[in-house]
Amino acid sequence: MTENIYAPHLVTIEKVRDEAEGVKTFTLTFKDQTVGEAFDYRPGQFGEVTVFDVGEAPISITSSPANKGYFELSVAGVGKVTRALHLKREGDLIGFRGPYGNGFPFGEVESNDILFVAGGIGLAPLRSLINQMFTERNKFGKMSILYGARYPALLCFRDELSRWAELENSEVLLTVDTAPDDGWQGNIGVVGSLLPKVKIDIEHTVAFVCGPPIMIHFVILDLLKMGFRQDRIITTMERRMECGLGKCGHCNIGGKYVCLDGPVFSYQQLGELGESI
Amino acid sequence: MSEMKIVNKAKLIEFLENLTPDFEVIVPWRENGNLLFGSLAYAKPEIDFIDRPLVPPKEYLLPQREELFTFTTKGGEIEVEAHLNKERRAIWGIRPCDLYGIKTLDSIFLSSYIDTYYQARRENTILMGLNCNEPCGMGFCSSMGSGPFATDSFDLLFTDLGNRFLVEIGSKAGEDLIERKANLFTTASDEDKGRSNELEKQCKQAFQRSVNLDMVKAALSKAWDDALWAEESKSCILCGGCNFICPTCHCFNIEDIADKYVQASTRVRYWDSCQLGGFTQMAAENTRKTQAERLRQRIYHKFSYIPANYNGVIGCTGCGRCIEVCPGEIDITNILGRMK
Repeated sequence: MTENIYAPHLVTIEKVRDEAEGVKTFTLTFKDQTVGEAFDYRPGQFGEVTVFDVGEAPISITSSPANKGYFELSVAGVGKVTRALHLKREGDLIGFRGPYGNGFPFGEVESNDILFVAGGIGLAPLRSLINQMFTERNKFGKMSILYGARYPALLCFRDELSRWAELENSEVLLTVDTAPDDGWQGNIGVVGSLLPKVKIDIEHTVAFVCGPPIMIHFVILDLLKMGFRQDRIITTMERRMECGLGKCGHCNIGGKYVCLDGPVFSYQQLGELGESI
Repeated sequence: MSEMKIVNKAKLIEFLENLTPDFEVIVPWRENGNLLFGSLAYAKPEIDFIDRPLVPPKEYLLPQREELFTFTTKGGEIEVEAHLNKERRAIWGIRPCDLYGIKTLDSIFLSSYIDTYYQARRENTILMGLNCNEPCGMGFCSSMGSGPFATDSFDLLFTDLGNRFLVEIGSKAGEDLIERKANLFTTASDEDKGRSNELEKQCKQAFQRSVNLDMVKAALSKAWDDALWAEESKSCILCGGCNFICPTCHCFNIEDIADKYVQASTRVRYWDSCQLGGFTQMAAENTRKTQAERLRQRIYHKFSYIPANYNGVIGCTGCGRCIEVCPGEIDITNILGRMK
């Protein structure tokens, strides 16, 4: 008998951090040390998170694989499982199985400039990639990070955004859709409105786009208009998932399983799937 | 060609009963007019050799509702207990369409990530097929290459020759079953084999329904935006019957059911239906909004995606059950016929 593919591993919540309004970041370690030592993942992969007695939900890993001994999930409390997860405290046990999915291309995009365009909690999976790229900084050209949220309190990873902005040959631009009276000095507008503000060498740039479907849709339209090739726009697809292993059928589109063959697709691959983002 | 045996029809029960100390023996039997699979212990006098059962035997491999785990919280510790069903079963009277259905399920559940629960049941289940001498009402298996006579995916395969069965051995496990009661079996003659071939030929010629599978395959790349999806799905009442009755439909949900009083919960999986609106519902949006898209998904999954992912095996067996049960009279052979 093979290993039970549906069995969640027990993980301990080591730390809970308020990341943004309605978003918490959980630092986790495997209870079984052997499992923890064997655990490896690529940026863009996800896992199925169990809040015991409530249910399971697919969540992307936000930490970088360069961080050994622990991993992190940043979670917006919007559904049954994620709201229950928000009630958990340091020291509590939850379940985790994974990593699943293909993850972002890494070696394939070496020696390019990298453009990140993220919206809201969509920065969580990209953060894993950004930090991984910064640890292997010499392999990549300029790194531009464009990040937007609906309003300032929803911006995640504020400390890291400042840190990334100070690193060599990188830039970080922020925007919000609306800024109520809380002293926001930055750009106002959708994240696509930041694109004209950065200098992009289109021929030598790969764009990573992650966020809500409507934001992805319009950013990709902008990028195509700028002249980006379809296979140089990398994005993620969100679908209902139950198993994460290509069995339950929910995320099946156009012959692919978003959980197995995705969630990362190039815009060119998306076109071949048939259904919309 | 594997070795062929003959067993007297009157001795079938004796053969099957001989298995009962080691196996739960499942046979088709009639209940309130419906032909269903059930335990031999309750069905003895009524085994039905004539019709195709209303439901496939999928339930024994992928139950409608299956417990996966129990999670128990005790003093800050959490215990994870898996529930694997390893009960030994021998199912007799599986029609070729349903054997093909199991072949499809095997391809899905026993490849890449092996489904632990399906594997536990499958490895402990003996499949005994029964060829069809006549087409069933809505069936079109001869178009799909799955029937009316089976070619693989069985341990034993029975053909009704009137007062006796021709028995083909498909595996070592099947051979072992015969060994247990070898005195009931004789070696088949060439005449018996000839009679079986004749019956297969006659049956194939008697089919009322057919599908041009080559045409369907060729049309897959062109039919995506066709008006037929909206038109054919108009009478759908979203009951999910076509999925639940299908021998290959395998989509499922996973749900945790908590017991507040003992700080424990049970994780179950249960069948889901791609024809229901909730199938693609997420917190923020539903990614398949119209019934036309859902019908198209059902057809493309069966005829395009499963064959592409699993070495050409098809997600439709031609059993015709989805036509039989549909209150909206949606007919998969009409849909396939319109794909050009």
